[in-house]
Amino acid sequence: MIAKSLQTGLRNGLIFGIIILFLVLIGFDITGSSLIGKVIGNSPPASSTKQLPYASNLVILISLLGIWNGAMAAKRIKGKSPSQSIAAGFFAGIFTGLITAVFALWIGTALKPGVDLRVYLIALSSDAIKFFLFQQSPSQAALIHLGLLAAGGLLGGLIIWLNRLRKSSVAFTRVNESFSNTATRWNLNVGILRNRYIRYTLYLLGFVVLIILPRIWGSYWNFVVGTVGIYIVLGLGLNIIVGYAGQLVLGYVAFFAVGAYSVALLNSTKPLNLHWGFWIALLIGIALAILAGFLVGLPTLRLRGDYLAIVTLGFGEIIRILLKSDLMTDITGGPRGVQDIAGPTIFGYKFSSDIDFFYLILGAVILAIFIASRLQNSRVGRTWLAIREDETVAKATGVNAFSSKLLALAIGAALAGLAGVIFAARNQYTGPDDHDLMVSVNVLCLVIVGGMGSIPGVILGAFVLKGLPEVLRDLENYRLLFFGMLLIIMMIIRPEGLWPATRQRLELRGGRQEPQDVLPEKLEEKGLEA
Amino acid sequence: MKTNELSQKYRKPLSSARIFRLVLGFVLIGLLTWRLIDVIIIQAEYGANTWLRLIIVGLIIGGVYSLIAIGYTLVYGILFMINFAHGEVMMIGAFGGYFVFEALKYIPTPTAQDPKLTFINAQPVISIILAFLVGMTIASLTGFFLEKLAYRPLRKAPRLVPLISAIGASIFLQNAALLLFSPQPRDYTNPTSLARGTGLKIPVGSSSILVTYTGIFTFVLSILFMIGLYLLVKRTRLGKAMRAVALDKKTAALMGINVDDIISKTFIISGALAGAAGVMWGIHNGIVNFFIGFIPGIKAFTAAVLGGIGSIPGAMVGGLFLGLVESVGPAALGIDFQLKDVIAFSILVLVLIFRPSGILGEAQSEEKL
Amino acid sequence: MNTILETHQVTKYFGGLTAVDHVDLIVPENKIASIIGPNGAGKTTLFNCISGLYNPEEGEIIYTGRPINGMPTDQIARLNIARTYQNIRLFANITAVENILVGQHPHMKTTWLECLVKTPKCVKEENDAVQEACRLLDFVGLTGMGDHLALNLPYGAQRRLEIARALANRPRLLLLDEPTAGMNPQETDNMTTFIRRLRDELGITIILIEHDMRVVMGISDQITVLDYGVKIAEGDPKAIQSNPRVIEAYLGPGAAALSEKLMKRRHHDVTNN
Repeated sequence: MIAKSLQTGLRNGLIFGIIILFLVLIGFDITGSSLIGKVIGNSPPASSTKQLPYASNLVILISLLGIWNGAMAAKRIKGKSPSQSIAAGFFAGIFTGLITAVFALWIGTALKPGVDLRVYLIALSSDAIKFFLFQQSPSQAALIHLGLLAAGGLLGGLIIWLNRLRKSSVAFTRVNESFSNTATRWNLNVGILRNRYIRYTLYLLGFVVLIILPRIWGSYWNFVVGTVGIYIVLGLGLNIIVGYAGQLVLGYVAFFAVGAYSVALLNSTKPLNLHWGFWIALLIGIALAILAGFLVGLPTLRLRGDYLAIVTLGFGEIIRILLKSDLMTDITGGPRGVQDIAGPTIFGYKFSSDIDFFYLILGAVILAIFIASRLQNSRVGRTWLAIREDETVAKATGVNAFSSKLLALAIGAALAGLAGVIFAARNQYTGPDDHDLMVSVNVLCLVIVGGMGSIPGVILGAFVLKGLPEVLRDLENYRLLFFGMLLIIMMIIRPEGLWPATRQRLELRGGRQEPQDVLPEKLEEKGLEA
Repeated sequence: MKTNELSQKYRKPLSSARIFRLVLGFVLIGLLTWRLIDVIIIQAEYGANTWLRLIIVGLIIGGVYSLIAIGYTLVYGILFMINFAHGEVMMIGAFGGYFVFEALKYIPTPTAQDPKLTFINAQPVISIILAFLVGMTIASLTGFFLEKLAYRPLRKAPRLVPLISAIGASIFLQNAALLLFSPQPRDYTNPTSLARGTGLKIPVGSSSILVTYTGIFTFVLSILFMIGLYLLVKRTRLGKAMRAVALDKKTAALMGINVDDIISKTFIISGALAGAAGVMWGIHNGIVNFFIGFIPGIKAFTAAVLGGIGSIPGAMVGGLFLGLVESVGPAALGIDFQLKDVIAFSILVLVLIFRPSGILGEAQSEEKL
Repeated sequence: MNTILETHQVTKYFGGLTAVDHVDLIVPENKIASIIGPNGAGKTTLFNCISGLYNPEEGEIIYTGRPINGMPTDQIARLNIARTYQNIRLFANITAVENILVGQHPHMKTTWLECLVKTPKCVKEENDAVQEACRLLDFVGLTGMGDHLALNLPYGAQRRLEIARALANRPRLLLLDEPTAGMNPQETDNMTTFIRRLRDELGITIILIEHDMRVVMGISDQITVLDYGVKIAEGDPKAIQSNPRVIEAYLGPGAAALSEKLMKRRHHDVTNN
């Protein structure tokens, strides 16, 4: 009885202990505490520079972690007896607490003068260490940590047990039944949105809002949401290649660079001193991107998934290194990039403010959505999906896989080129550092996290992965760390993304049946009626 | 049966892709040969001693690439996935060795002759062994947990999914190292008997070249590790089990092999090799930071593909070959040393376009239905 | 009677293994030709050679007079040759109707640009295709299940969907690979009747790989037996049933003699009682 709780507690406690140590070593205890402080309004006055948050916030943080620890441990215990769950939580808390306490003791005593741990682990400045020790002596701090984590663990176990109690009670079962179906809870494609007219009305409303907002909310938000918009276009383009056709491409940034450098070189004073105008540069940029798509695709699209990914990665990197080298400086501006790119003009009106660019981006986004959704539900889109699902069988069903994939790559590249042109024109500058692997990875992340093959998913992904970090500026240092973890976790628990794709209901449209759900549920067997 | 009269076959018309590849191939070969002849023979800027030096440097770095490449090939052989995070495993191993040297640097072992002597210089051999042990162990553990947490749950998923997880793992590890250790590059403190920059002066022609001790050490150790691994795979029971799992997981399981266990062990071994490579990198190149795994990782992958992915001798040969080409290439082609990496990436791209099965690999088998 | 498909000495190697060993096959039009044999005899490999997924090392495959060995798979499909698979291979994450629509791909002519702009021609073609897909759904008995994702359908429905997708090709030649695998006797009977309808009502030539002997003996016009890649017998059901080589291929050496003894004894018992 107790042994099982002990075992689970040991296992979970160990894992959580390592997690807490890791968080401390990357300085997240400080960042997390200051976030908590901001949320509950318990921060030091803004006047002081680089001040550490109040120790009370750390107490809250550690307690929350402790509760989570206990809850996770208790969840693993399947039995219903209260003692088991709570004991598991408690033991987990104790073990984590012990690890944390020992660690606190160690770095506390290592704080003697002459030893600067910062040389090795940058998060361990003496201020940071003192903060972690709640500004107390090492042994006191160790006890506080132990206490908090043990209590938190206990509480976590208690909460899980209470929750189980609630679920198994008959009175509650019927009420909760409708919520227990994970599919309905998680799937955002619920009833209302299916009605065509409601959808269109929402679109119109949204459009009107998007027209008005830029005039109200100031240039900072214009810039941020504009960036999100550019990434939506990028995401929709990559979505066609990865989401529909299932071809993993890691060098997507190359097409972005083609677009950006097209407008840069054709519309600035140096290095080429051409002033062909934005709109012409736009067309040329997109055309060149499509050409690049062909050139990349022709030799490589016959390769299998992982190889294709690597080869496109290679292409992207080659282009970046070449752009950055001095070799091409005469043509492309070298490591310093191209400055003073002139912006678009319409009938003599010059685009100067962020508002104007916002509208331009909005237009591009609408275009991208239009292209993506039209193709998604057409014959071409279906062939892409067939290739994604099973390329061999698709070919045996009559699909010319190669030309289909090439088309996907070309259209995706075109959208990237479009995004690149607008991006460079808005920044009035572009350089090799704007076009590194991370851009490709970012776009890939937002497509996958949002939902492969799903237009609303990509839009959601862009807001979450590009917009949110802007809002949570404090967490900027941890952004990529979080991305990496997010990718792994998403692949394990929800590979279809936050807003998964759904397919049209064509049989319904044929006017034959009542609406049926396209949600994952098993049907009963029906006999073969021949 | 009218077999004799009807020995015709449907002839595939030349597709645009094939034409493109053929044209591209000819153009590239033409350009390359012209350039090489031009630089090496016509202009003859570099003397024999330079070439020899470049070749030696190339072999040394090639050895390191080989070790990492073997790791890629081992994992690909059993799981058919590219372990994107393998470069980061090497980086972690390098940091492991770094911390060992740093710790040993501060343990005082004063003697009569030298009161300031520290452990690292008093016992250089033990120090180096310790550094390798720790580096390799930490790297192995990283590989083990990588497989357990990020790859195993996705064993049955379509191919794209574990690949993305691997990319996520790579990003995570890189940034973890960045946050833990700062972007500041760290200097490896070698024991003085193996200090960087010291070595044998070998006369060549009119001048001489310096063959560094660290270089010799790295190269010899790489070869030893490669031989060791080869023997492990070919002669031991574990190696046999690994080969069996690589050939056919289901049948291996039916023969009583614990497939999950073997997969874990494969990751541990490939991690150990990468860790060793990382420590060697630190000892020889002297600089470690969070990013040193990324580009060598891709280059090692190139080497593995070049030699034929899934083939261990292929990885060894590929690594040495890539190291050589990367070192001698910029000089031979008369281009900037800045573009060294472009050579490696170009080889990657070209190999995958023209011969994805690699030099020593078998032609990719048709898909079994 | 015309021959729709002939294979001449078709041979396929996998490394040291000869999966298909100089097999000659003649399939008359509008008939059901079965290919049977123990597991691993090379039947599916032969199918793969015919449908272009494998390229035979030796031999020819002639379809309505033209050689098709070496032709790319998608082109073979466009010659109205369709097939199903031993392990069901549907496009899992799209709906049943969409699976069938992909099957119609060779017959749809709109380009992507037209799809993008939604020309009237494109709209009409799409609507017609959906109508036909629904008709095919009815034909295989999947009415009402069209908007479910293929992976959510029960096993039997998936098998029928695969056939529907193959029929969407409007094939002249249909290759069915173990269509009754995993079915109970009732379903098997329905499938058997269904296959007969394909031959009789739609005029399709069918090549069938099957293990269920009731099906094979019941509907085949011609049976070919493979063992270890070699054709060991060919003929109508009666001839195959009593062919000693066939019996031994399935049951092992000595089985033929035993079988004959048993048959004689039963005949003796019957005539004497």
